[in-house]
Amino acid sequence: MEQPFELTSELRGNCLVLTTVGYINNVGGEAIAKECSKHFSDGISRVVINVERSKVVNSIGMSFLIEIIEQLEEIQGKLIFTNLDPAVEKMLSIMGLFQYAGKEATVDAAVRSLK
Amino acid sequence: MMEPVRLKVELPQIPNIELVAIEGLERLAQHLGIADEKIGEARILVTEAIINALEHAGTQNPEVHVEFTMTAAEITILVKDFGKGFDPGSVPDPSIAQKLGSEHKRGWGLRLMKSMSDDFRIESGTDGTKITIKKFLS
Repeated sequence: MEQPFELTSELRGNCLVLTTVGYINNVGGEAIAKECSKHFSDGISRVVINVERSKVVNSIGMSFLIEIIEQLEEIQGKLIFTNLDPAVEKMLSIMGLFQYAGKEATVDAAVRSLK
Repeated sequence: MMEPVRLKVELPQIPNIELVAIEGLERLAQHLGIADEKIGEARILVTEAIINALEHAGTQNPEVHVEFTMTAAEITILVKDFGKGFDPGSVPDPSIAQKLGSEHKRGWGLRLMKSMSDDFRIESGTDGTKITIKKFLS
């Protein structure tokens, strides 16, 4: 059974790195959006979301990521997803999120590209 | 050739109950020797179909019926709710450009199910909504 949702957050320089574990539903999506907003008010505008350990996601959870993109557009920030499961990548692609966000294989690659 | 395997489950309105169906999907795949990476899109289809059904099920008869018929080559996913139904044709096709700046960021389920499936059918009436999805697994 998919694990309950957990979110860890760390700052690497001026880049916020979020790592999710488990099902990203509405609760998970909202938690990600809240964590981002908290850091945006501190001047952070670069975000990496590592979803390697979230194989089950739903569109309601993913809709919260559109909120993050919206806020990042206002502050000329950038969002990169990493360690995407191919099915989740396809889902985000259908939703059009990669028109506004990037993707990288690993967190290190994403952080490097944001420097 | 191995016979198709079937799973039928009735889901009550409980948070994250769709994960029970996902667990069933994974068990069937394991039984048929299907690699985990081949059911990734089926996982999303099952999740979207069930959360859509739970949302439309209403309160009078709120459970959702789910049925999988699976072979090593494909899965048919049937999800039925007993709500008031809706007109699928009236659901606008979402776009990210339109969602940015809008209060309503949801509404992606039908688009995802149509795009990720190999066959998608929806029948909706006053006695409920039935979604039938076929997905090739190879």
